[in-house]
Amino acid sequence: MVELRNVSVTYSNGVDALHDVSLRINDGEFAFVVGKSGAGKSTLIKLLLKEISPNSGRIMVNGFNLEKLKKSRAHKLRRTIGFVFQDFKLINTMNVYDNVAFVLRSIDAPLKYIRNRVPYVIGLVGLKDKVKCYPNELSGGEQQRVALARALVNDPQLIIADEPTGNLDPNTSIEIIELLKGINECGTTVMMVTHEHELVRQFGGRTINIEKGKITFDDYIGYAQ
Amino acid sequence: MKISSMNYLFKQGIRNIWTNRIMSVASFCILLVSLLLIGLTILMVENINQFIGGIENKNEVVIFLKDDADEITINSMENTLKAMDNVSSVTFYSKDEALSDMQSSMENAEDLFKYVEEDENPLPDAFRIRIADIEDISVTLMEINRIKGIDSIKSPTDFINILTGLKQFVSVVFLLILGALVLVSLVIISNAARASVDIRKREISIMKLVGATNTFIKVPFFVEGMFIGVLAGVAAVVITWFGYGELIKVLSQDMTLWSIMSVNGFIPVEDVIWRLAAGYLAAGTVISAAGTVMSTRKYLKV
Repeated sequence: MVELRNVSVTYSNGVDALHDVSLRINDGEFAFVVGKSGAGKSTLIKLLLKEISPNSGRIMVNGFNLEKLKKSRAHKLRRTIGFVFQDFKLINTMNVYDNVAFVLRSIDAPLKYIRNRVPYVIGLVGLKDKVKCYPNELSGGEQQRVALARALVNDPQLIIADEPTGNLDPNTSIEIIELLKGINECGTTVMMVTHEHELVRQFGGRTINIEKGKITFDDYIGYAQ
Repeated sequence: MKISSMNYLFKQGIRNIWTNRIMSVASFCILLVSLLLIGLTILMVENINQFIGGIENKNEVVIFLKDDADEITINSMENTLKAMDNVSSVTFYSKDEALSDMQSSMENAEDLFKYVEEDENPLPDAFRIRIADIEDISVTLMEINRIKGIDSIKSPTDFINILTGLKQFVSVVFLLILGALVLVSLVIISNAARASVDIRKREISIMKLVGATNTFIKVPFFVEGMFIGVLAGVAAVVITWFGYGELIKVLSQDMTLWSIMSVNGFIPVEDVIWRLAAGYLAAGTVISAAGTVMSTRKYLKV
């Protein structure tokens, strides 16, 4: 569950990135967050990851009160969230298996569990045959699937996808969103940030529009036939 | 942390050396050159100190006795001198020995000494003593002066003062050079470590985002830094062993020039290599590991 109450962020250069934003995304929901560049979408993600703190307001993510959470304990929050980024953010010196397994290794998961869980999740995103490949040997769509597998592997409560289709062709973009939808149907909350209104209209669902640091629209829209 | 995780992090550290091999080689070379510079400076100064020590050992104090000193006085004097802490050896040098040595060392001695009767030896009896610590020679000479029956004392005080001054000068210069070398090495090594970490800042930020703790991220960097430090230390030991060994072999081939400068020999490589090896390995490992880990700090604040 994600909840923001009267959150405002002003950067040191005076830019008002978010202004009095209140928002709630319940467990099991799928929400699109849309808006133009500079609208405040990235700031919202940074807040949810505890990369930055708000000037005012209260943020709750997966039961963590971010106001009280120390930066040194941010890893505890991040372990409950799976991330998917536009630039995939894969470690280029690790192969597919190691990129996905890294999440479990970092939480000291048992070796046997890692050996079973990682191939299973890589299979879920359709990359069974690519486990030993390095990121630079994969297409953009495949790299995003690896990022999805990594986001899924420790069974997070929430997945945040920041422009996951930004670097992909339309067909691959649809495949990635379908994968995210499938993950959501299994009970995981998904928040997908995008500026591609066309894709949002195609899939439909809860849509939150941010403009100049304020929420201007928050409702369900039907999917295009 | 589980043993399997520690095992993974250790392997990851070793693997990183190969994955980032260009930066690893650069760090290794910089560390090696720094260690060798410091090691060779230490060797040079130890040799200079040995030369000075060698010269110090050649100094001798001669105590001339009064003509009327009888055997009892001479024996008592010898016991008093031997009992002194700063006197390492006492040798009695009789007037007869002195005369005989003088005669044998001079040309035409027979002509010169033919008028000297056997009981008319003009030379005095004397003690030749060696001083243990020449820095305290003034105090020792004052004590000797208090002994009855002494006519005069001949000691190389001026020479000793010059030597002591030279030794202090070498020590101060050595400390300054060593301090500067250590400082410069630390700056260069930490810059190399920072550059090595810099190219992996993206990797570190990804690790942080997926929930890795700072310790989990730092351990492979620590292992990597430590391993490069050990390798550089071992290489420095090998180069010093063979390099310095060969150098003193070449320098010792003709000792004529060195003898003029009162240099009897150089410190053998076996006498210093173990101390240097310990220093190389400790300094290489600690500086490299600490430098690498400290360089990660700035990127861990994600």
